[in-house]
Amino acid sequence: MTNNASIIRLLVAKDWQLFQKQLALYVLAGIVALCLLALAKPWAFYLGSLMLIVVVVAAACFSISASLMVERKEHTLAFVMSLPVSPWDFTIAKLLGNLVTFGVPFLVLCLGTLGTVLFTPLPDGLFVYALLIFGYVLFAYSVALSIAMTVESEGWNTFAMIGSMVLINPFIMGLAQIDAISSQIEQDAIVWSTPAVAILLTQVILSVAVLGFTVWHHARKPAFY
Amino acid sequence: MDKALQSGRLHYMDHLRALAMLAGVLFHAALAYSPLMQPFFPTADRQSSPLVDVFVWLPHLLRMPLFFTVSGFFAAWIIAHRGPTGLLRQRIRRIALPFIVAWPLVFLAMSAATTWAANHVQHPSPLLRLIHDWQANPDAPSLPPTTAHLWFLYYLLLFGILHWIARTLDFAAPGRWLLRHSPGLLLLGLPLLLTLALASVSAPHPAPEGLLPQFWAILFYGAFFAFGALLYGQPEWLERAKKLLWPLLAACALCYPLFLWQLSMETPSIAAPTASWLVALLEGCLAVWLTVASLLLGRRLLDRPSPIMRYLAQSAYWTYLLHLPLLLLVQYHLMDLSMAWEWKFLLATSVTIAVCLLSYQLLVRHTPLRRFVG
Repeated sequence: MTNNASIIRLLVAKDWQLFQKQLALYVLAGIVALCLLALAKPWAFYLGSLMLIVVVVAAACFSISASLMVERKEHTLAFVMSLPVSPWDFTIAKLLGNLVTFGVPFLVLCLGTLGTVLFTPLPDGLFVYALLIFGYVLFAYSVALSIAMTVESEGWNTFAMIGSMVLINPFIMGLAQIDAISSQIEQDAIVWSTPAVAILLTQVILSVAVLGFTVWHHARKPAFY
Repeated sequence: MDKALQSGRLHYMDHLRALAMLAGVLFHAALAYSPLMQPFFPTADRQSSPLVDVFVWLPHLLRMPLFFTVSGFFAAWIIAHRGPTGLLRQRIRRIALPFIVAWPLVFLAMSAATTWAANHVQHPSPLLRLIHDWQANPDAPSLPPTTAHLWFLYYLLLFGILHWIARTLDFAAPGRWLLRHSPGLLLLGLPLLLTLALASVSAPHPAPEGLLPQFWAILFYGAFFAFGALLYGQPEWLERAKKLLWPLLAACALCYPLFLWQLSMETPSIAAPTASWLVALLEGCLAVWLTVASLLLGRRLLDRPSPIMRYLAQSAYWTYLLHLPLLLLVQYHLMDLSMAWEWKFLLATSVTIAVCLLSYQLLVRHTPLRRFVG
């Protein structure tokens, strides 16, 4: 299967151009959240960490809803079909565009948070816990993105997007119930317990598998619909 | 300035940046002999002089604000000439990569030198004594790493992101409006804004060396970066501000003694860790007015090619990256000598600058490293 690289690049750039205002806002909110964490006060820590989670989840939902659901609603696909672009090119462009628009704020905030844990008086044990939470957001995003790329129904897409992201709460609560993970949070050392490694690997493998399946599924489609 | 811009080289901006970075070497060397810094600086010498405090805080209030103003100016220049992608590439090559490579090396070198000094210097500073006791305690937690004097690279990267955000969301409109009006508006308004940032930290303001971005540093240094970036779009602002050079210098001459006097009354302590509003206001006024006065003076005196200044400008980045571990090493060795502080200062700065320039000549100037730190 061959790619029309220049068209894919243009479509990704188009998504980036269209959404960069909102992404800039998300990154700004993320920097404010990191500054709050830097104040090293309990209220600022809770506000900053809550703000970080809200920003990452909002960036994930925005990326999917703006680039796929809204475009579908506005029948942008009909216009794209008039371009010299194949269904495969379009799939790859949408996937890459989404990964870039979500990936930039996600990476900035994830690395910022991990750096915060490592290089401030916060206990280093939070490192694994924070990484698992970001891992969950990545997995939830991959699921919601795959469903949005595959299923036409707006209702199902909204359900998948909100459902997967809202489940972050029970996920965080669930982590707190695993003694091997929760007992390390307040320790000043990074401990890779078996459950933590297993959960992280599962998140990464499932995220890649879900996205891989979506690409494979679309590669078999001879037409846009 | 327009002609200079068209020719592609702004000598005075290059030279001012070099002078601001080289002033950092002198500033750090002088801190060892400042009575005010005795409890806080690792190379604080037995001999100190109040004269150092009289002279050292003026360049402190000027050099980094001036550096960030020039950096903002050049960031806008690169966007205008090479586009945002060009700026991104330049920031990765000239800031991110040097920071990633130099930071661990600088941090390890400084830690090794300080550990050696804590165990070997016969007349240690209060901070070295504290470090010695800390090391003797096996239960003492390890201190979090800092960016040391490379914090300016960290903040340049951060300002690169904030610059993109400001351009994307058009946050620059109020700044452009401000620069279109009388220069007095900015010269009086900006210090008030900076007072908010400076009143949240001790005086003289510390270096934001932590690995997390700090609100006060973003507001303080970010304002100068933004000012520099806006100045590129409205170069006539400096022309309009030209007539204010002497009033600005006179105002600084009045404010600085007042600042020193207030500082002597408010020594930072655990009970009062932040500056008073008056000291913060004086710091804000001095930082803004000195920066603008330096730009005006630089434009008048330094805007011509000079081989020496060119060489210093090209070597300044490397010199600044390298200077602090070297300086600490030299000053740790000088601490036990019973020389006058003036000689120690002269020796420490001469050796540090000589080694930095020599290593620049041998390792950077004619090698691929020049593209990154030359």
